[in-house]
Amino acid sequence: MSDVVVRCSGISRTYQEESVPVQALQDVDFEVRKGEFISLAGPSGSGKSTLLNIIGGLDRPDKGDVEVAGVKLNDLNESELSDLRLQKMGFVFQAYNLIPVLSARENVEFIMQLQGVSPAERASRATAVLEQLGVEGMADRRPGELSGGQQQRVAVARAIVTRPVLLLADEPSANLDSATTRELLEMLRTLNETHGVTIVAATHDPIVMSYARRQVNLRDGRIVEDKQNEAA
Amino acid sequence: MPFKLLLQLGWRNLFRHKRRNFMLLLAICVAVAGVVVMNSLIRGFQFDMQEAAVANLTGHVKMLAPGYLDDPNIEKSFTLVKDWQPHLPGVELEGWAPRIRIPAVIMSERETRGIQLVGIDPARENISFLDKVELAGDMLSDADDRRVVIGKELARQLETEVGRRLVIITQGIDGRNREAGFRIAGTFDADGKGLEKLFVFTGVKALQNLVDAEVVTEVSIKVVSQLDESLAQQGLADSFLDLDVLSWQQLEPQAAAMFVFADSAIFIWFLVMMGALIFGLMNTLITAVMERIKEFGMLRAVGMRPRAVVVQVVVESTLIMLVGVVSGTLIGWLLVLWLSDGGIDLSAYAQGVELAGMRSVLMPRLLVEDLLLVSSLSLVFGILAALYPARRAVKINPLEALRR
Repeated sequence: MSDVVVRCSGISRTYQEESVPVQALQDVDFEVRKGEFISLAGPSGSGKSTLLNIIGGLDRPDKGDVEVAGVKLNDLNESELSDLRLQKMGFVFQAYNLIPVLSARENVEFIMQLQGVSPAERASRATAVLEQLGVEGMADRRPGELSGGQQQRVAVARAIVTRPVLLLADEPSANLDSATTRELLEMLRTLNETHGVTIVAATHDPIVMSYARRQVNLRDGRIVEDKQNEAA
Repeated sequence: MPFKLLLQLGWRNLFRHKRRNFMLLLAICVAVAGVVVMNSLIRGFQFDMQEAAVANLTGHVKMLAPGYLDDPNIEKSFTLVKDWQPHLPGVELEGWAPRIRIPAVIMSERETRGIQLVGIDPARENISFLDKVELAGDMLSDADDRRVVIGKELARQLETEVGRRLVIITQGIDGRNREAGFRIAGTFDADGKGLEKLFVFTGVKALQNLVDAEVVTEVSIKVVSQLDESLAQQGLADSFLDLDVLSWQQLEPQAAAMFVFADSAIFIWFLVMMGALIFGLMNTLITAVMERIKEFGMLRAVGMRPRAVVVQVVVESTLIMLVGVVSGTLIGWLLVLWLSDGGIDLSAYAQGVELAGMRSVLMPRLLVEDLLLVSSLSLVFGILAALYPARRAVKINPLEALRR
């Protein structure tokens, strides 16, 4: 069985920005193997977020094929894409995007509820993940009562509690100070190394890049560098 | 579909923007309470009209000789067999009353008036307004009583009083006039001067003696349940093929038309109130959706299906409506209870009120079926109001929403 989790073949994406076409990705080939921790880096407008969004099924390429966990995304409609994201992927957003009216525990259980996981199973998995990420003491607090770092931990807990095939993180450290960023990255590294979670993070933060074992750099919509980070 | 989750989210979101949702709930409460109170007043008016029409010597069903309605006189009469009783299987009767009702002229020492002379069996008049009038003096003792009971207003016009004598002229069965003197047993104070001026009552047997015929011109029947009206009408029509058997709606077409109009008025009032409300609700929901674009974007991004997003907005709208409708209904019910304590005094508008066939005190009537209809239709309106905002929520592009 292939251990390729993501396969992008010749993908291109052009946006219209105030009627001006902007080529975000140009004929990109990209693969992610199971258990990798990859950083997608590059300056603003390099195409890193576009590539992440296309992998996550949030955007569609104008040209080329995308395959995630053996499923070709090009052929899926909106509902099928939703199901794929729900069952196979975890998302960590720049702004955490927790639901303000739910407690930390309820936020973590939320996606499992969408998946139809039983209440007992949900409770046990949520407790385990919150403990693992060191926020079990905040389980009953709402996002407004948590610090930025705590919110991001809860957001990571929400993303990994469903045991996704692929964890996608878009600028996960953007709203965090460097100490909290390091804590978060240590946690992601542990998840990657001990639980084999495949992680792709779009970032321009050198700290995040330093933790990734594979660094992919983009510029003007093309991959200009793809290397292993021996120091990680 | 994670309905429980959507319900939980919807409920929590009710408390998210407390002031805004409170104002919206207040608007729903006022609208629903207004509809409940207005419904109960219109129902009270409707019930009054119907009661007045039925009590006005009509009954729910009446048997008449053919042609009596066009030319009411003693020749348009019929005979009842001795000890006749209505036999209507499956129909529970509140009562029935045989009568002679003929035009006559009444004279006192000072004045003369045209009236309807009605021969009654007083024991059977529990089905007409006579049962509820205030009486000065006595009621007729029985069907043989030769005295009369007249309206207070007629007594005033005739400048007479209880115990005095009056002369009545009417037509006998042979077509010749009959004239007789009657002593006033009592004067009645009805709810409306029209009845007091029109009707003069005497014993039915006494009147039969005066017109020289053991006949009646009508038999009124009142049923316990309105649902039995048509069954009673059909039963009597089958038994008396040579008589006209008419319902109160046929005998009082104006009141019947007003009755139907009142139903329409309730519906129109409801539509106007809810129509205004629905735009307020829609506006609030659109604002709520637009404020939460990022949240909806996240929900879509993590895998919530478009259909679930629609359901979430609809659930939120339905919950707001549900809370508003329950509170509004409760407030409306309390207001109706308060108004029912003595009713609304319309005596200042007595003439108009009487023309509309109503009593001078309007008593609101709250029907359970009306409450259920208002509540369920309000919820339907809540769902309809949510559809457009829900469509907006579904159309949110998760990618664009998350970039905000």
